[in-house]
Amino acid sequence: MKSFFRMTYPYILWIAVFIVAPMVMILLYALTRTGNSTLTFQFTLENFARFFSDATFMRVLLTSLRIALLTTVFCLLIGYPAAFFISRLSERRQTMMVLLLTLPMWINMLLKTYAWRGILLNFDLASEFKVFIGMVYDFLPYMIIQIHTSIAKMDGNLLTAAYDLGANKWKTFLKVILPLSVPGIISGITLVFLPAVSSFVIPKLLGGGDYVLIGNLIEIYFLTAGDWNFGSAISLIMALIIIASMWLTRKLDRNAQEE
Amino acid sequence: MKKLLSVLLVLCLLAPAAVLADDVLNVYNWGEYIDKQVLTNFQKEYGVKVNYSLFSSNEEMYTKLLSNASYDVIIPSDYMIERLIKENKLQPLDKGIVTDLDSLVDGVKNLPYDPDNTYSVPYLWQSVGILYDSTKIDPAVVEEKGWDIFLDSEYSGHAYMYDSERDAFMVAFKALGYSANTENADEIEAAYNWLREMDKAIHPSYVTDEVIDAMINGEKWLALVYSGDAAYIISENEDMAYCAPKQGTNVAVDAMVIPANASNPELANKFIAYILQPENSAMISEEVGYASPNADVLAELSGPGGAYEGNSAYVPRTGYEKDELFHDNETLKKQLSELWIKVKLHE
Amino acid sequence: MERKKSRWSFLSNGYLVLVLLFIYLPIFYVVLFSFNESKSLTNFTGFSLRWYENMFNDETMLQSIYTTVLTAVIATVVSTVVGTVAAIGLSKAKPLVRNLILEVNNLPVMNPDIVTAIGLMLLFISTKVQLSLTTLILAHISFCIPYVILTVMPKLRQLDDNVAEAALDLGATPVQALVKVILPQIYPAIFSGALIAFSMSFDDFVISFFTAGVGINNISMYVYSMKRYNPSVNALSTLIVVVVTLILIAANVIPRIKDKKTKKEED
Repeated sequence: MKSFFRMTYPYILWIAVFIVAPMVMILLYALTRTGNSTLTFQFTLENFARFFSDATFMRVLLTSLRIALLTTVFCLLIGYPAAFFISRLSERRQTMMVLLLTLPMWINMLLKTYAWRGILLNFDLASEFKVFIGMVYDFLPYMIIQIHTSIAKMDGNLLTAAYDLGANKWKTFLKVILPLSVPGIISGITLVFLPAVSSFVIPKLLGGGDYVLIGNLIEIYFLTAGDWNFGSAISLIMALIIIASMWLTRKLDRNAQEE
Repeated sequence: MKKLLSVLLVLCLLAPAAVLADDVLNVYNWGEYIDKQVLTNFQKEYGVKVNYSLFSSNEEMYTKLLSNASYDVIIPSDYMIERLIKENKLQPLDKGIVTDLDSLVDGVKNLPYDPDNTYSVPYLWQSVGILYDSTKIDPAVVEEKGWDIFLDSEYSGHAYMYDSERDAFMVAFKALGYSANTENADEIEAAYNWLREMDKAIHPSYVTDEVIDAMINGEKWLALVYSGDAAYIISENEDMAYCAPKQGTNVAVDAMVIPANASNPELANKFIAYILQPENSAMISEEVGYASPNADVLAELSGPGGAYEGNSAYVPRTGYEKDELFHDNETLKKQLSELWIKVKLHE
Repeated sequence: MERKKSRWSFLSNGYLVLVLLFIYLPIFYVVLFSFNESKSLTNFTGFSLRWYENMFNDETMLQSIYTTVLTAVIATVVSTVVGTVAAIGLSKAKPLVRNLILEVNNLPVMNPDIVTAIGLMLLFISTKVQLSLTTLILAHISFCIPYVILTVMPKLRQLDDNVAEAALDLGATPVQALVKVILPQIYPAIFSGALIAFSMSFDDFVISFFTAGVGINNISMYVYSMKRYNPSVNALSTLIVVVVTLILIAANVIPRIKDKKTKKEED
């Protein structure tokens, strides 16, 4: 079996070049002083200080978190009942529904977002609301499918047992189905919240120039302002926030599973 | 399975090789900035293939250049050319091939960023100005106020502001009587406050090229636009009119250059010479709406029977001492970028 | 009970229909307006095929479709092979090493697109590697492999080690054990992984934007770079909808036909 481990060597090399090295580059740029395309090795923490000391950037961070939270909550509110209703359908119909939900996921996100831009031109809505619709639209299928997978995996016998023991439908739902679907809820939340926080295409296309989220900030600093050091610092901060949240959710998930 | 894989890989590697077989020219230009027919004609006449790529900002183009990407012809704006020349990223044009510079309008050649046109030849040019619905706003008011019209809360909710920090700050600088290239901290602060006032007064929608279709549809009454886009909009919506304000504005030139690392400089020069030919310049200018640098073409298109006859936006203003070109200034750009974010976020 | 049931299914089905309508709204919109006579995005003025004509005449658009498909196919093939091989190797590794590698593997998945994109761009620029189609494909491979590994690993964990051990004991070479024993068991996971990799690559915008070279555009990049929104994009979107629908139908019908055939053979 040891020989099998050798199969991993090429991939380890790949990771070193294409995953680790880029992160190291971002780290280097974030920790050094402005030199744009040339890395000047003057180490400093000023890029981070600049980010946290400026009220504007804090506001951008909060807006990103806020809209990501709203999107996630709504995807959950709309998605959970949908996933549950689908799980009550016949096997054939369930497959149909999952198929219907998966189809739009294959169409380029950019194309779908432009379509929404066209549709929303007919209405006079606040930018944040338009971005919210775009985000919920993009992430809803993921939430539904994650929850549905975990409900569908549930052992039917558990439900029968619950009914036999005298529980009515509501109680069964609350005490059996809901708790067992928690892993699905958690992975759904992960698949929605994190990409939503770092999203930059949807806010840019649907929100107009004055709707700036963290992802947009990074793009502005890299492409327009040419301040790669600051842009890298923001990237790093965002990556750390996300990695920390993922680690947290995985811990919660493990605890939930142990229970 | 393995055999299939290797065949597939070989086929894929051959694909780009097939492209290299023909002589290839890599052109990098703004989006919707050419008449495709011109490209087709060029390819046919010279028996070559043109790989045509698009960028939407000078900065984006510059970033791609940094990665050593090899283009043959690029069409950046004046201040970016200034920067590229400074950084030795361009090669001189072959004046044996690119000969016809006399037919160019005076306002576009021998400009400070490339005094002898050693490296660049103008492609299209423009000014920045006010586009307004003449049925909703009295032209006399626009002429009188100039840039200050953007401070008038009467137009609240009815205005578009172009999302470009350099152009927005230019408007503020000019309105306050400063140079658009100023590095004076007080002037920059004053301009920042002017823009904040503008944001609070008219609550504009910050857009980029969506402004074109929106103004054609008459969605709002007022917009900050480039003259070429204005010319196009006016040609599709007669109610619209253009004004280059009395306080002065930015006049800009987009020009063709050849990067130092171009793989096919000879063909690049031929392409540039081809574009300069009056028929081709006319086709491009008519299609896109921006002004041709060729004096005859300019006169023809704006004159009787021309596509842009009577169009107030087509021919950019020249010889007005308050109009300015942008200079390359990285520090200024970084500063303005950050301040602009704050303006947009209604700080 | 009958009434309750039918009221229940009325409500639940109704809800699902509403959700589906929401999800398909932009798709209907795009398909409808791809046949619009005028350029308008808000008024449907008449039926016309001009945008389809436009699309087929637009060389850059066709080129972008070619680039997208080529990149997705190569990235999927390479990442599925490398990912599966790596996953198999990892499943036999010591837990400490395995977890470390898996954590690093997860970085592109957890990291926001834009951070991964910028990291790769910085890498290519500082090593003076010229951006090209190759860098684009390499970038796609590097974000696809983690998804393959994530899909295949769980299935590998479920495998009964004893079967592979038995094969080795019975004289099979490690390669044979791999190909004849392990692979067939995890085949569905490999297939899922490949599908996910393909859809991630096909859909990608941000990473492609920062790592593609001269004249290289994928569909998303091309649409993003258009100055004035060109309704040919609706035609393009409709085309993609049709192709995806056909593929998904085929993917579901073919296994069923195969099942029927094997059932017949069994009978």
